[in-house]
Amino acid sequence: MSLTARYLEARGIPSVVMGSAKDIVEHCGVPRFVFSDFPLGNSAGKPNDTASQSDTLELAFRVLETAPAARTTVQSPEHWSVDASWKEDFQNVDKMSEDELARRRADFDEIKAVGQRVRDDAHPDRRDGTS
Amino acid sequence: MSAADSLEFTPGYDMPVPYMKRLTDYYLALGYGNPYRWAHFADVPFTPVTKPLAESRVALVTTAAPHKEGAGDQGPGAPYNAAAKFYEVYVDSSDSHAFRGVSHVGIDRKYTTAEDVNSFFPLRAMREAAASGRIGKLAPRFCGTPTNRSQVTTIDQDCRDIYAILQEDEVDLAILVAN
Repeated sequence: MSLTARYLEARGIPSVVMGSAKDIVEHCGVPRFVFSDFPLGNSAGKPNDTASQSDTLELAFRVLETAPAARTTVQSPEHWSVDASWKEDFQNVDKMSEDELARRRADFDEIKAVGQRVRDDAHPDRRDGTS
Repeated sequence: MSAADSLEFTPGYDMPVPYMKRLTDYYLALGYGNPYRWAHFADVPFTPVTKPLAESRVALVTTAAPHKEGAGDQGPGAPYNAAAKFYEVYVDSSDSHAFRGVSHVGIDRKYTTAEDVNSFFPLRAMREAAASGRIGKLAPRFCGTPTNRSQVTTIDQDCRDIYAILQEDEVDLAILVAN
């Protein structure tokens, strides 16, 4: 999505990215970014919370209106929960046992195989080996 | 107790999750070498916004997917579902209320169920912003973009397609929601 923002911006369409993977978006470099410090999958606000969702969108509008230069990141003031321990869980190998890693290795092999089948079915001419 | 304790600092782990490090370490631990190389640019384009939002036409670009027939569980709480991926930009009417899902992307499945589409696909909030006059108009269509590993395909094909659609719809501003 960061690549899309850059592409549109370079061709005259101002953009704002809403997202939660701060390091990935900023590593790419985008014109404007509203960062919600939430678990991945909630870039538009908290679930079942219309105030959070409209406030997050309003922040994106304000960033469009006021960003002075590229790489403007504004962090939403909202917190996912009082306890921030969720941040330590996501794909954190330091918290996984050998058994858990073995199970995940097997799952990942299957996911890759499914992805390859779907891709080959959709685009027989585009077997580029990516996932 | 040190002097700094009296300042009640937030715990050190309460900072943005270092996803690039987590994912690199994770796939290495799973035995996959050749770690993913995330897009990285020193220079970033910038186009100033010159028109008031209340006079602008705004488009949504999403990574959410339409329902894919025969591709298994794609709804709230679904496990990661590579079969639900799509490989070309799609469009739909901004008035559509059809299903949108994120089973095909790497959301945080421990803490996110995707039970509320509005938490990752803000079309309802954008309709309300248009109705209230906060923005001039919502673009007639929104775009869905594939989330695949090949950055070359993303730029050469998907970005180009989205730009063409936005131009056709005479869009002034784009809201891009990653998930």
